Amino acid sequence: MAGLTRERRTAYLLGLPAALITAALFLVPLALLFAVSFTGADGFSLSAYARLFGSEHYLWVIGNSLQLALITTLVTLVIAYPASFAIARAKGVWRSLLLGSLLLPLAASVIVKAFAWTILLRSTGIVNNTLIALGLIHEPIRMIFTETALVIGAVNVFLPFMILPIFAVVAQMDERLTEAAATLGAGPVAAFWRVTVPVTLPGVIAGIALVFSLTVSAYVVPTLLIGERYPTLPSTIAKAYLLTNEGSFGAAAGVVLLTIALAVVIVSSRLGKAPGAAR
Amino acid sequence: MADAAHLGVKGVSKRYGAATVLESIDLDMARGELVTLLGPSGCGKTTLLRVIAGLVRADTGTLSLAGRDVTRMPPYRRNVGVVFQSYALFPHLDVAGNVAFGLNLKRLPKAEIEAKVRRVLALVHLEALAERPIRALSGGQQQRVALARALAVEPSVVLFDEALSALDRKLREAMQVELRQLLTSIGATAVFVTHDQEEALTMSDRIAVMHRGRIDQLADPRTLYDRPATSFALSFVGQSFRLSGRVVASEPGLSVIDTAAGQLRAPKQFLTGSDVIVATRPEHAHLGHATLGPGDNSLAGTVSNVTFQGPRSLVEVRIGDAFLTVQMPGRSAAPPIGSEVTVGWPIAETLIFPAEGEP
Amino acid sequence: MKTAALILSAVLAVAACVFLLAPLVVVVLASFSPTPVFDLPTTGASLRWYGRIANLEGFWPALGLSIEVAAVSTALALVVGTLAAIAAVRGALPYADAFAALLVSPLMMPGLVLGIALLQYFRAVGFDAPLAGLLVAHLIVTLPYVARTMIAGLSRFDFTLIDAALTLGCTWRQAIFKVMVPALAPSFLIAGLFAFLASFDNYPVSIFLTDVRTKTLPIKMLQYIEEAPDPTIAAVSSLILLGTIVLLIIADRAVGLSRMAGTSD
Repeated sequence: MAGLTRERRTAYLLGLPAALITAALFLVPLALLFAVSFTGADGFSLSAYARLFGSEHYLWVIGNSLQLALITTLVTLVIAYPASFAIARAKGVWRSLLLGSLLLPLAASVIVKAFAWTILLRSTGIVNNTLIALGLIHEPIRMIFTETALVIGAVNVFLPFMILPIFAVVAQMDERLTEAAATLGAGPVAAFWRVTVPVTLPGVIAGIALVFSLTVSAYVVPTLLIGERYPTLPSTIAKAYLLTNEGSFGAAAGVVLLTIALAVVIVSSRLGKAPGAAR
Repeated sequence: MADAAHLGVKGVSKRYGAATVLESIDLDMARGELVTLLGPSGCGKTTLLRVIAGLVRADTGTLSLAGRDVTRMPPYRRNVGVVFQSYALFPHLDVAGNVAFGLNLKRLPKAEIEAKVRRVLALVHLEALAERPIRALSGGQQQRVALARALAVEPSVVLFDEALSALDRKLREAMQVELRQLLTSIGATAVFVTHDQEEALTMSDRIAVMHRGRIDQLADPRTLYDRPATSFALSFVGQSFRLSGRVVASEPGLSVIDTAAGQLRAPKQFLTGSDVIVATRPEHAHLGHATLGPGDNSLAGTVSNVTFQGPRSLVEVRIGDAFLTVQMPGRSAAPPIGSEVTVGWPIAETLIFPAEGEP
Repeated sequence: MKTAALILSAVLAVAACVFLLAPLVVVVLASFSPTPVFDLPTTGASLRWYGRIANLEGFWPALGLSIEVAAVSTALALVVGTLAAIAAVRGALPYADAFAALLVSPLMMPGLVLGIALLQYFRAVGFDAPLAGLLVAHLIVTLPYVARTMIAGLSRFDFTLIDAALTLGCTWRQAIFKVMVPALAPSFLIAGLFAFLASFDNYPVSIFLTDVRTKTLPIKMLQYIEEAPDPTIAAVSSLILLGTIVLLIIADRAVGLSRMAGTSD
């Protein structure tokens, strides 16, 4: 008896500092933000939300954020899924090179990467010059501050977050699974859809959740690559706090953004545990 | 002469909440003795080992080791060596680093440590792998490193916590024999914890059969096998054929028992009317009327299966609800499946236990 | 057909990696631009932009502040997060899984939302010390990274190693410092690396908590880029990149890339 309570007391003591920090710097501020978002000039008010959901402009802004997240998620998935297999199968130097070129951009500053794309995509930039040199276009096309630039930049910044979870699952997948499927009469296509896809699904779901919630929250990439032309929820929040000082409205936009990001994470973790999905 | 014991455990008990894990355990070991704590999981054997190592403090009782009272002594001053089930090798050190670990803490001169490490590694045939990282070793090699690390500090007692259980069967059997020779040759005192009866029989001078926090029987392997003290000890070590019944007559040195399959005699007096378990080891049993003598028990049964194994045949006989497998020389003709047979065994080899406390 | 799929995926993987590395390579090349307009150094390289870094207004204080905030918050998070991870993993804690999930949950939070929540909160409680506020805020940025990595590392850690050390003559203190800490060194390194980079590169939380005098490097960088982008920014970026590469190489030497990428050994 004494042994158990002592162990438990130690556990409480060890966990206490982190619990206090998380409560004081995370839970309480979030609760406060939530409260502020429901506050008007005189007490409780839904005016911030009414303004957000009642105006065509802000619905368009929310739509922009969702659209960017959706497109980025799809494009990264299409690239990452096959690429993960190749990286997992690669041996020796190749594997190190591929993993290194995945981890370095991941560790590199977002601002540095976004800045690099402003250089690459400007009208006298490398992409335009290359296309002209190849004879594909005759005069520079406008790329920077367009939707194309935004998607290229977002895919570039968030692609590693799609590859890594899928790679982690694929690397641990037993290659003999598909061989077993083949001996059971599954052709390559059937083996892929009935074995490979279900087995790697948890990694795919994790990747989708991660990329979607990161992209929908992205601030630096849209700011540098498209700017005012394409306002998003994050840029609206920043503006409300840094320029116009509309705390309640900014808080409501924050709550909406938070809800979207959390919904994706929660839904995906449910899906990952669903009976049909392999663990 | 209790204080002459090299390792003395007296009245050790341990409770976790409402659960009693150890109940007044007594165990005396002589210097150089190899003792196994044998029992199913949850019987308290590992807890007893951890009490001896000092990793768990007993609620009551005393412990002495090599002439010192170590009851309240922390593990790091007891001078014990432990080989853990997971081996618990330090992943950040290489083979030699692991073996030298305990020696470094004793602040011995560097040259002495190196010499000792080399000697112990030679003992376990790992001299060539001294510089290897732990990750690069096979399970069997890791087991040897763990052993070398425990032996290097020249402990008063070496404790093995299911140390061989992770090895595959072949390697484990080879290791059992080698380990016993090694420990005997260096005169080590050792306690093994295992649930593997063959390991216990191979490795030990004495075996303590543990059951529900108590030592049911502490005896040398032969006595334990031939004369188990409890029906639990009987069932846990070796094969046995058992029937339950009731004593209908008794006199000094003899009980007559009625079972569902027939009447049996056992060479020990029990109170008339008490419920008992009667048993024998299968190797004492033989088939057929012709071989029966006046000193034998006999029962009728039906042959339910016959297995030919070359040098011998195994004849499985169904007697009531129980099955008894009788060995016959492979050359002799086994009775056909379904035939009625008589099975006999000497009354002297009949075991009898009280039925109560039977799970 | 299977070979075709293999070749295709290999080509795609290489292409993806080239695509990922492209901006980094371009930044480095542009930093050697001979002209002020991000020309690639085809006709000759110039180091003059590196010389101009020192002229950037407020660069050195911003760099110093960022390193200070990242180092202090990472160090604190390593201590607090490791202790909490031990509590969560050892099993003596009721609702240990929920506790672990709580510690990691700020990772799922949009940075900007965390930033405004903290701004709101600091205002409400009247906490008005930019440097302290930034440090405290970055603690909640770094702590989840440490908690996540240390919980994973500790759940692979065999606690009988400590028993083994005790029986070999270690006191409790020695067992912790001679066995547990070195055996967990790879996890500490990865946790520290991720936490440091997350703090050093953080923009969306910091932006709400700085004043004119306390600006971190990412905030300064964005300001430079928006005001007057010239190859000096590329030079600064290249230096940050160089620092990141050095950290990664150290981490790779110590623990290997595969482990950092999230697969077990």
